[in-house]
Amino acid sequence: MNPYGPVAIYLCVAFAAALLFSVLPGLLQRQKPNPQKLEAYECGVEPTSAVAGRFPVRFYLVAMLFVIFDVEAASFYPWAVQMHALRVFGLLEMIVFIIVLAIGYAYVWKKGGFVWR
Amino acid sequence: MPVAIGNYIALSSVMFFIGVAGVLLRRNPLVMLMSIELMFNAANLLFMAFARAWLANAGQVFAFLVITVAAAEAAIGLAIVVTTFRSEKNVDVDEIRLLRG
Amino acid sequence: MTIPFTSADWNALVPIAIVAVAALLVLVVDLFVRGYAPRYVSIGIGLIGGIAAGVVVAGQFGHNYNAFFGGFMTGGFTSVFEEIVLLALLGSLILYGAIGTPDRVAGTTALMLWSTCGAMLMAGAANLMTIFLGLELLSLSLYCLCGMVDRKTAREAALKYLILSSTATGFMLYGMALLFGATGSVMLADFVNPALASSALFWMGGGMFLIGLAFKLSLVPFHTWAPDVYEGAPLPVTAFMSVATKAATLAVFARFLYAALPSGAAEKLLLPMWIVAGISMIVGNAGMLAQHDLKRLLAYSGIAQAGYILTAMAGGSALGLRYAMFYLTAYTFMNLGAFAVAAVISNDGEQGSRLTSYEGLAHRRPLLATAMTIFLLALAGLPPTAGFLGKILILSSSVSAGYDWMAALLIAGTAISLYAYGKTIFAMYARPRHEPHDPKPCAPLAWASVVICAVAVIAMTFYPLTPSNILPLVK
Repeated sequence: MNPYGPVAIYLCVAFAAALLFSVLPGLLQRQKPNPQKLEAYECGVEPTSAVAGRFPVRFYLVAMLFVIFDVEAASFYPWAVQMHALRVFGLLEMIVFIIVLAIGYAYVWKKGGFVWR
Repeated sequence: MPVAIGNYIALSSVMFFIGVAGVLLRRNPLVMLMSIELMFNAANLLFMAFARAWLANAGQVFAFLVITVAAAEAAIGLAIVVTTFRSEKNVDVDEIRLLRG
Repeated sequence: MTIPFTSADWNALVPIAIVAVAALLVLVVDLFVRGYAPRYVSIGIGLIGGIAAGVVVAGQFGHNYNAFFGGFMTGGFTSVFEEIVLLALLGSLILYGAIGTPDRVAGTTALMLWSTCGAMLMAGAANLMTIFLGLELLSLSLYCLCGMVDRKTAREAALKYLILSSTATGFMLYGMALLFGATGSVMLADFVNPALASSALFWMGGGMFLIGLAFKLSLVPFHTWAPDVYEGAPLPVTAFMSVATKAATLAVFARFLYAALPSGAAEKLLLPMWIVAGISMIVGNAGMLAQHDLKRLLAYSGIAQAGYILTAMAGGSALGLRYAMFYLTAYTFMNLGAFAVAAVISNDGEQGSRLTSYEGLAHRRPLLATAMTIFLLALAGLPPTAGFLGKILILSSSVSAGYDWMAALLIAGTAISLYAYGKTIFAMYARPRHEPHDPKPCAPLAWASVVICAVAVIAMTFYPLTPSNILPLVK
């Protein structure tokens, strides 16, 4: 047997026991809720808004543009590795790729995609 | 020690079904988008594993293609979610029911 | 290292390149104009690009070539599907010119052109990578196009389409990964290997691939997105989507069915697809009965029409493929025609999508009502139109292939649909209860597209244009 076998078994047993003890009471208990019971305990404060704060919309816009240009930049690596083998053909392909990307970039710029307001 | 192909298939199918469950069960469009990305990446893992098993480069190229396309998809998804955020305040797909099938 | 591609490889991509460059040109022109480029400039560039690509595609009709080691194929099959997609592009660009909003014209036109590129790529794709790339280019542009107007329903349609369609793409991609695992190749031609019929990976992969296709074709268990998205999207986009997505997906499906299945496996793997198509014909037609919106009506109609086209292919006979292509061409004209009528009625805005605006149309605009009658009759599959001939051909091929039950479902579905189409036609000829204000005359180009579509729908009855020997062109 693998020397780590007992450890794995012990891990499984521990996990099962923990799961059992945390799930079983919830199944067995009697539930008689009343408003006082459901309140936050003693010094707790009633939450007034959603837990996760809201990001400004601008954040998503920048995130979006970042994701696109970031991954497009990754497309340079295969070309860079094979640059000498591909020679002029590879260079032309890359120029076309960059032109297309540049037009997109210019379009975003002109339409105000990079303005942080 | 090389890892057997079966393990990759198992891992990727688990990832894929976590993704499917995420799309079906979660109600926040952003989380749903992330789940879809998880589905795509499960497929990517499979492509890489099979590319290694078959010694076929096509799988690696395909995975690279998928990464690029998934990024575009994520960006477009974010854009659409943001336009909904702007007008709606509340983003929960259960609240979006102007159109009933 | 030498580059293994010759000029013949690049020539195969010329039509797609023309459309893509036209889209870039639209954006560049918009960049150098103060504010926004005028509507006619953007749309004009788009139309010229589309027509130029159409001419080049027509020139490739007889030239079978396997470009990029089987990545992209040219020839009759590809040409027919590419022309259908380009027709959808031209039609919807004209409609967009007639009723589109003045802002965002450049962006919308460019996106339409790019999604056309994606659909054209799918038409010629013989390789899983090309299929995936084309599909994503088509769908990603369509998600954006759905949300291109400031309307709550449009944003909602875009979000819904994005989430549901991406999930379907995820299924399809995972299926592709499994197919790759079964063969170690991404070429469709390598799937013909009969040894695959005993591979579990192949069956799972093929199944998930087909689920993705069924979703894109809006077949029945996966159809719920179609009416919502069609209703929410702007009218020209709906017109484009209804034709281009179907044509491109059917091209991929046909290539998968005719050129990529190991012998013996096709029957078993595709049976669920035929059952789904059969159910779609009933559910789609039944769904039309309760609709009050033309776009929703045509969405349900589209669900059923996809079923009809699959019925023609059932059994995988060469004749069936010809008939499917004939019906798809006819469907393109009748569907675009119906949307063009809606655009002419709408003038500005989207009144034309409400079915109430067709009440008493024959008394206000008799010619338009006649054209609409022709399109609805064709969609229903009644005599003087290409829809009738198409349905007869489909019935004959499915019966001779031994799929009698699909033929029976087709007839049952048609019977149900007659009520829905008939109701709309009768409403047009009934006396109007109230006199709605007569809209201003619409753009002549939109009118022209109505006339062209109507003539085509009638003329195709007499000249059933199908490439006579299409099967070798698929492989």
